[in-house]
Amino acid sequence: MSRLRVAGVGFLNALPLTHGLADDPSIELFLGLPSEVARRLNEGECDLALVPVAAAATLGDVDFLDLGIVARGPVRSVVVAANEPIERLEHLALDASSRTSVVLARLELAARGVRAGERGRVVARPPSEVVTSIGGSVGGVIIGDPALDIEGRFPHVLDLGRAWNERTGLPFVFAAWAARRGSYTEALVDRLRRAAAEGIAAREEIARRYASQRGLPPAGFVSYLRDSISHTIDERAEQGLSRFLTDAAEAKLLPPPDVRVIRTARPEPKPRASLDALLVRVADGGRLTATEGLRLYEEASLFDLGLAADAVRKRKNKPDVVTYIVDRNVNYTNVCTTSCKFCAFYRPVGHDDGYVLSREVLGQKLQEVVDAGGVQILLQGGLNPNLRIEWYEDLFRWIKATYGLGLHALSPEEILHISILEGLDVPAVLRRLNTAGLDSVPGGGAEILVDRVRRNIAKAKCTSEEWLSVMRAAHHMGLRSSGTMMYGTTDTAQDRIAHLVKLRDLQDETGGFTAFFCWDFQYERGTRIASGDHGTVLYLRTQAIARLMLDNVDHVGASWVTQGPHVGQVALRFGADDWGSVMFEENVVSSAGTTFRMDAARIEDLVHRAGYKAVRRNVKYQHLGEPA
Amino acid sequence: MRSARFAEIEAKVRAGVRLDEDDGLALFEEPDFLALGALANEVREKRHGDRTYFNRNVRLETTNVCYASCNFCSFAKLEEGMPGAHTMTVAQAMEALRRKIDPSAPPTEIHVVNGLHKGLPFSYYEELLSEMRREYPAAHRKCFTAVEIHFFAQHYGMTVREVLEKLIAAGLESLPGGGAEILHEDVRRRISNDKATGEEYLAVHREAHALGMMTNSTMLYGHIETFAHRVDHMLRLRALQDESVARGKGRFQAFIPLAFHPDGNGMEQLPGPTGVDDLRTLAVSRLMLDNFEHLKAYWVSSTPKVAQIGLAFGADDVDGTIVGETIYTAAKKKAPDGLSVDDLVRLIREAGRIPVERDTLYRVVREFPRAALEGQFKVRDRRQGKHLSVVS
Repeated sequence: MSRLRVAGVGFLNALPLTHGLADDPSIELFLGLPSEVARRLNEGECDLALVPVAAAATLGDVDFLDLGIVARGPVRSVVVAANEPIERLEHLALDASSRTSVVLARLELAARGVRAGERGRVVARPPSEVVTSIGGSVGGVIIGDPALDIEGRFPHVLDLGRAWNERTGLPFVFAAWAARRGSYTEALVDRLRRAAAEGIAAREEIARRYASQRGLPPAGFVSYLRDSISHTIDERAEQGLSRFLTDAAEAKLLPPPDVRVIRTARPEPKPRASLDALLVRVADGGRLTATEGLRLYEEASLFDLGLAADAVRKRKNKPDVVTYIVDRNVNYTNVCTTSCKFCAFYRPVGHDDGYVLSREVLGQKLQEVVDAGGVQILLQGGLNPNLRIEWYEDLFRWIKATYGLGLHALSPEEILHISILEGLDVPAVLRRLNTAGLDSVPGGGAEILVDRVRRNIAKAKCTSEEWLSVMRAAHHMGLRSSGTMMYGTTDTAQDRIAHLVKLRDLQDETGGFTAFFCWDFQYERGTRIASGDHGTVLYLRTQAIARLMLDNVDHVGASWVTQGPHVGQVALRFGADDWGSVMFEENVVSSAGTTFRMDAARIEDLVHRAGYKAVRRNVKYQHLGEPA
Repeated sequence: MRSARFAEIEAKVRAGVRLDEDDGLALFEEPDFLALGALANEVREKRHGDRTYFNRNVRLETTNVCYASCNFCSFAKLEEGMPGAHTMTVAQAMEALRRKIDPSAPPTEIHVVNGLHKGLPFSYYEELLSEMRREYPAAHRKCFTAVEIHFFAQHYGMTVREVLEKLIAAGLESLPGGGAEILHEDVRRRISNDKATGEEYLAVHREAHALGMMTNSTMLYGHIETFAHRVDHMLRLRALQDESVARGKGRFQAFIPLAFHPDGNGMEQLPGPTGVDDLRTLAVSRLMLDNFEHLKAYWVSSTPKVAQIGLAFGADDVDGTIVGETIYTAAKKKAPDGLSVDDLVRLIREAGRIPVERDTLYRVVREFPRAALEGQFKVRDRRQGKHLSVVS
């Protein structure tokens, strides 16, 4: 029998739940941060996980065992800390990956009328930087063991466990053992109950050992684990959980709850919402869980998906307008060290066909953009170790000074590459490039933000979290970016939905994505990967589900470059409100291998005849007046 | 937002009540494009479920010399001796066929369409058919549009019936649907004034049906015609089909809307239909032509990409492998030259349907399982090695 994959959390408050599992040969136990544990459950890398309740709510179709991390009063390990009184806080610095605490903090602050609880007032920081961000009107949400470490350091502290308990009269459930509905056995549930019972009995010993490992006095830890935290989700706690998820859904911070607490190992099957109910909810602007999104993606008719996506598109954007941009895609170098299996473009370092575009060639291309009334260039290339950050800075300054074009440049992979090459952190790289002229970051290289897939198709590429962290840093700097998805390699439908949820989560945090584009992997000679799911029907379904999942992204573009202009016209009825960019050079388009140039006049004609008004835009999707 | 009018039409369709001219027009004007598609899909799935047909066919055009001067045509040359004009002898035609045919996977159909050539003897066509029958007895001969048959009758001084009987004797088995263009004379006069009229086109099919022959029909749309002309076109075909079905011999099998391509012909200033129009036309055709069993999303004219979506908008057939087509090629079609069986099976499966290989008369040659393992199918080299820039 294969070992059960169980993922727990390494924080002190969670250790009693996994204490009795450590030496069990039938269980493969992983202990990590809550965000990583949630990722494993989302991406099917574990069977059972101790996940933050908000992460489970985002996933949906989850059963909680009646075991978890519960606060019945002050919790001490989840607090808002500040130098100013809490009521005066304008912003909240926090580690956004701890979604439950983030949502709780916003609900509590909003309930108290504190501005920092309103939408758009969150400043996401890496866990290590949250404490140092606190000051003036910026408070910090401190979570887990660091919260115990800073006890007494800040004059104003709001214990979120206490706050919740006082306001609602209910306990607060932070996390619980969770599994996909129907995927767990009676034996497993029994095993976890026994382990928890052992761990709870041993909690004082666990706390003392924890303290001694850190060389700290045990008393505070012992009382914390014994008095502040409880590990059983009784009916009162379940009411608290339910109240929290409902309030969060009403505040549009989480999808409507599709989770429950089970008290027997063989619960009744839970009736599922009808497809129609999901379609109506999402068309009205409601949020889908990952599981609900997957159901619609796999089961809803092409027409229903299109109608719902069109309804969302019409509410978010002018119904009769389709935007496009006059810009140019310039690949400054094809030299690259990643050797992705799906790419036929790159050349390894030292290869005869490797190139870096000269200023002369670039200048000619840029002048053509200016002459055509263009507003920006999209500059991307391989990861060329011969190009240092100064090269990019010089190039950007030259482009700005000579041509005045917007610079939509360097995908996250390239920014990470420069960061590693130069030994600078990502924000420092972005700051220097921004100072030199970088205006926005293209969303390329996202592929599928599920690491199993990324390892299959592009071993040397950054991880999902690295890609997202570059975007996070760019957004925090005020740089906007697009989000993309390339499907159709070794990805499943579930992977695509997981990808969309990751973009949606980051967008909740930063609001920095302007638009989303997707396309299927374009098989070409010289690539070393078998083709997965494709076709224009799948494209339309995928674009439509993206429009439905990404309820917090304003725009969706039609990828006519890959699907062909006629399918592009059809895609405008499936949630897209943007036609992307003109094409200056001939490019191979569509399975036919035919070539296309697409100038502004042709775009306007195609868009107009599809029944819309074509309007030029800039990279921020601001309209640039009526078409010429 | 779907119109109240659409709800009426939907109710009629569901009750099995035949749609009229006004209904057809309302469907072309219906703002809710997806509701229209869903209704056409309902009818399609009621008839065929997920089954989607294709065949293995070879195209042959033995002469592009054509006295008719249709404005939409990029293929024909008016006279022998003009640049690009070409006529094969029967021997050359057979040689051309041999080059197109892979003996290990012979086609089930040979589809011949030609220009209206005034300088060839009638025996040329008889010999062509009998040679094809001799060399490829298993390949169904679907040859000569109604416009060609009508021309033969006029040019060689025979009745349509005599022409058909002689050609049947030589090996003709069914008629392709070409030459219908737009049947309404107001349009037909302006785009092709010197070949069979709409009524003459229909008369040939009527005669062929009476002789027990299966035929097909087309509509060339997206040029100067209005929606009313398209609806009129469908109604005329539907009326003839009623007659033929009542007679109980031959009839129309499939209707094939053909998208106008504006390259290299007399109507280059026109844009050609949009992808949305392609799908809308399929959907309206499916709803109006209630006595046609099959509706083709002809991938050569609409591209395989749009044809895939067409399989959700009423179409149940994608035509065939079509090796050696030259007519749309002359109009710079965006589709590839011929697809393999793997390509077609994949195309249909990607659209979520079940591929069924048929012969010309829609008898099943081979059923394919619904298998989802797309990885088993060889991927065509779509990119020809060039780099694709992706907009983001």
